[in-house]
Amino acid sequence: MTSAPDPLSRILPPALRQLLRGRALTLRRPVWGPRVGRHMSVRAGHGLEFRGHRPYAPGDDLRRLDWRAIARRDRLVYRETHSEDALDLVLAVDDSAGMAYGEGEQQKYRVAAALATALATLAVRQGDRVGLCLATPSRDVARDPVRELLRPAAGQQRLRTLAETLAERPLEGACAWPQVLDRLVAHAPRRSLLVLLGDFLDPDPRARAGAPIEPRDAARVASGEADATDPGERALLDALARPRARGHDVVLVQVVHRDELEFPWGGRELLRLEDSRGQRPAVEGAGLRIRAGYLRRLGAYLERLERACERERVHLDRVVSDAPAGDALLDLLGYLSGSAGRGARDGSAPP
Amino acid sequence: MTLLQPLMLLGLLGLGLPLLAHLLGRERPRTIAFAALRFASAGDEVVTRRRTLRELPLLLLRLALLALLVLALARPSGELSRELTVLAAPHDAVLLVDGSRSMELRVGDETVLEHAREAAATLLRSLPPGSRVGLVTSDPRGPVVELTADPASVERALADWITRSSHPRARAPGGWTLDSSLPAALAILDRGGQAGHEERAIYALGDRTARGLGSLPRAAGEVPIIPVPVLSTVGLEAPPGEGGPDPRPEHVGIERASWTPARDIDPRAVRITGALRRYRPGAIQPVEEAMLDAAPDAATVELDARAVELALVVDGARVARTEVTIDGDRPAPFEFTHTLSGEGGPRRATLELLQGDDPMPGDDAVHLWLSASERVQVTVVNGDPSELRTHDEVFFLATALGASDAGGTIELHSLAPEQLEDRVRERGPGALADTDVLVLSNVRAPPEDVAPAIQAAVSRGLGLWISVGERVRARDYNDRLGPLLPLLMREAVVAGTAPGRAEARTEGLAPADLTHPALRGLTGDLGLTGARTRRTVLLETDPARAALDALAYTNGAPALITGERGRGRVALLTTSIDRDWTDLPLRPGFVPLVERVIGYLASARRGAASARLLVGEPWALATDAPVAIRTPDGRLLPEAPDEAGVVVFEDTRTPGHYRVEPPPDAPASARQAPVCSVNVDPAESLTAPVFVARPPSTDDADAAGEDAQRARAHLPRWRPLVWLAALLLLAETLLRRRRR
Repeated sequence: MTSAPDPLSRILPPALRQLLRGRALTLRRPVWGPRVGRHMSVRAGHGLEFRGHRPYAPGDDLRRLDWRAIARRDRLVYRETHSEDALDLVLAVDDSAGMAYGEGEQQKYRVAAALATALATLAVRQGDRVGLCLATPSRDVARDPVRELLRPAAGQQRLRTLAETLAERPLEGACAWPQVLDRLVAHAPRRSLLVLLGDFLDPDPRARAGAPIEPRDAARVASGEADATDPGERALLDALARPRARGHDVVLVQVVHRDELEFPWGGRELLRLEDSRGQRPAVEGAGLRIRAGYLRRLGAYLERLERACERERVHLDRVVSDAPAGDALLDLLGYLSGSAGRGARDGSAPP
Repeated sequence: MTLLQPLMLLGLLGLGLPLLAHLLGRERPRTIAFAALRFASAGDEVVTRRRTLRELPLLLLRLALLALLVLALARPSGELSRELTVLAAPHDAVLLVDGSRSMELRVGDETVLEHAREAAATLLRSLPPGSRVGLVTSDPRGPVVELTADPASVERALADWITRSSHPRARAPGGWTLDSSLPAALAILDRGGQAGHEERAIYALGDRTARGLGSLPRAAGEVPIIPVPVLSTVGLEAPPGEGGPDPRPEHVGIERASWTPARDIDPRAVRITGALRRYRPGAIQPVEEAMLDAAPDAATVELDARAVELALVVDGARVARTEVTIDGDRPAPFEFTHTLSGEGGPRRATLELLQGDDPMPGDDAVHLWLSASERVQVTVVNGDPSELRTHDEVFFLATALGASDAGGTIELHSLAPEQLEDRVRERGPGALADTDVLVLSNVRAPPEDVAPAIQAAVSRGLGLWISVGERVRARDYNDRLGPLLPLLMREAVVAGTAPGRAEARTEGLAPADLTHPALRGLTGDLGLTGARTRRTVLLETDPARAALDALAYTNGAPALITGERGRGRVALLTTSIDRDWTDLPLRPGFVPLVERVIGYLASARRGAASARLLVGEPWALATDAPVAIRTPDGRLLPEAPDEAGVVVFEDTRTPGHYRVEPPPDAPASARQAPVCSVNVDPAESLTAPVFVARPPSTDDADAAGEDAQRARAHLPRWRPLVWLAALLLLAETLLRRRRR
């Protein structure tokens, strides 16, 4: 009798698993967890890290009087320490058809899923709670097991379930990030760490499915005016502000393929570009004629996205799918722990 | 609507070619499923959309163009409501095609003759296999094809004849009647009859006019004549006055034109008179009525007045112009007065109708020679003079000549018989040299010593008109002028003196034979049919003598008979020319009759301004030396006289002015060369349809249901398609230019 392969080993490349050994997911900013954990909490508690002194009040635990301070100040001084709470980590992974681009290990979804699983592994190992939101809405919402996953939970079973879900998820449909963000804001426990993994190239293709960009909009895109882009993009940039307002920390891990960044088909060959999400009309033409406009518009969009993340203090980590996933993970961990990281390009203060 | 070449519709498959070329010719793109598609916008001008059909209107236009051409090649044709009758068994057939001027009527884009060609093609295809077919046309110089088993050769010969126009023997439609070619058709059948089929037929293709199919009998001996009316939408059996609309348009023509000197205005003035007429198909009528051209009832004709411009052209210059209003079907008279300038011989004149769109242009011009000096010298020998003018023998003759259109050109001299005898005895045969026409009116008989001079003068071209009366001695005439008489005379008889009848009866006149050379060109009833004749001179029948009846009594006896003797012509009226024996002189038709007979008799000698011929009629010129004749198309044709000193010029197939070119070294006084004008027979202008009977054999065949089959006639409908295609081609060019 052969047992089913470990879902973790299906998702995590060996190199990445090797990398996780001895690593920890530490956050520089305090958390607010319901359980005692390893992360500094925003409230005082029974942790190890000194928080401050305050005058003794009747009823305080006498064991926490700071005798040295009493001796110096000649009055009763109570010694407060930070509480240490567990972290609520909520992962949102784009599982739309657009993430299927790329071969083998370089498939965008596999990279995103590996990063998500690695973060979840670290979190579960140190007792944090992990939730998962798959970005593509299921047709049958009532029976969607992913909804169960949205509420964070701890334990190996959660990790196993998460890995299985990510490993078996079919890539289809289109992802509407603005709605996903709204859903996360509504359901995630407060002061959660929200890690969104996707390509964010077409944030909501259904906002104007099938409609080409009008010449007026195209001109504004060329001039860099953010408010003139397509409605899906505008909705995403608007939605980025909402998690911060609820106290969540948001990290955008943008997984893109090198072909999407560089558009390597610059010859005279006739191309037919079909929307992998099936929402936009196909485009035909020689690559030579398409490339310049494509790169110009893509560059403008990426710049707008970076500016918006900077404005909303959202960390944006851009990962190219053919780069080693370990580097991307180390960058992310470094940013979260407060040390300098390769991917911390937005300059925002680490949480 | 049927297709003559339905297989050509396979060409419609070619419509897929442009689409196929579009689908196959484009480059196959490399398909990439791409997530960042929104940055490669289709709105970018550099992005081409090759999969969709651009230039859709242009493509549709070209497809329509292709489809139209294919449809035109399939030759769609409409079927006429009438049918062709074709004998069912293999047989020998001759196509008898009407080539007269009336077939030149344009109906739509084609003439009736071109429609006849289509009908002939249908007929040839419908003949049962094994049949032999020949061809003859009513044009005397048209093609003749002996019986052949190859119908295509007949079709080719017919097409060649119809289409050739610049050939020396080009078709020149004249006033031929269809029945005049029946002998030729029968001859073809006879020549091929040795090894032929027992069944024979003549298919006559022509228009349903009195001189076309209406002139044909139902059968020629044993051979049935099957009429094939061209462009007739009514059945052969349709009774008079019924039937569908006739597709033939109405047209305007010059019905008659003549001229007289107008010395009351100027010594060199001429007055040109005539009448225009609207010809329209109208209702079917019996042949007899159509021949008489009886005016339709006023109640049935409600036509708007139509104004037509008419011009007089003299020597190539348009000298006068007038507008003639034609009211209904009635002839509209016109009159020009013109003063001929300078001296010299006769002048070329042409009356032209100025309407470019007339369906039958052939009768829109009449050619005349005008002359201020030429006159016909008529010498009347009065055998019964009277002091009472109305009792004088030649009173009515002189009055009629004075009243007629030609009166101004006729100079009448009256002599007593004795005066004539004295002049002849004095001057010999030269006594009649100045006379063009000699009228012996109730003269007993020329004396024996005078008669030879008259005979000699007639043989040199004198016209002789003999009218009888109480004084005439028939036996003396037979003895002395016997060789001249058309037929020898017998005794005079009283009409209708049957045994047992006390009351004298009168004899009426039958309708005139308008094909007689003297009467040719006249139409309708001459106004003579009411004439009552009490006494006539009987004639000896003699097949050896060439004689033509111009008028006959209702009992069949000739009333006016003519003959040609040498260069001259002789006419014999078998009753009196005054009121003694008949009331003929009181009839309105007497005036044109006298004018025509005098003109006919005189033209034999003079060949001068009064010589007016119809297309195809030979021009007889009395001359001893060879002459060169200038034709209207500029050719100079040399002709030599025969033994009798007569040049018979037969190439009068082109309407216009003919003249004998005087030798270059001839003195100016001798330059009064003979001239002659040739015009189209106005009878060919009549388009009134007639009742055409079907041959008796096919009636029987229909009853038996065996011996005849019907073939449908086709009317080509593909020409509008070609025009439409040309229009689309133009639109395509414009559209393509705009797209650039």
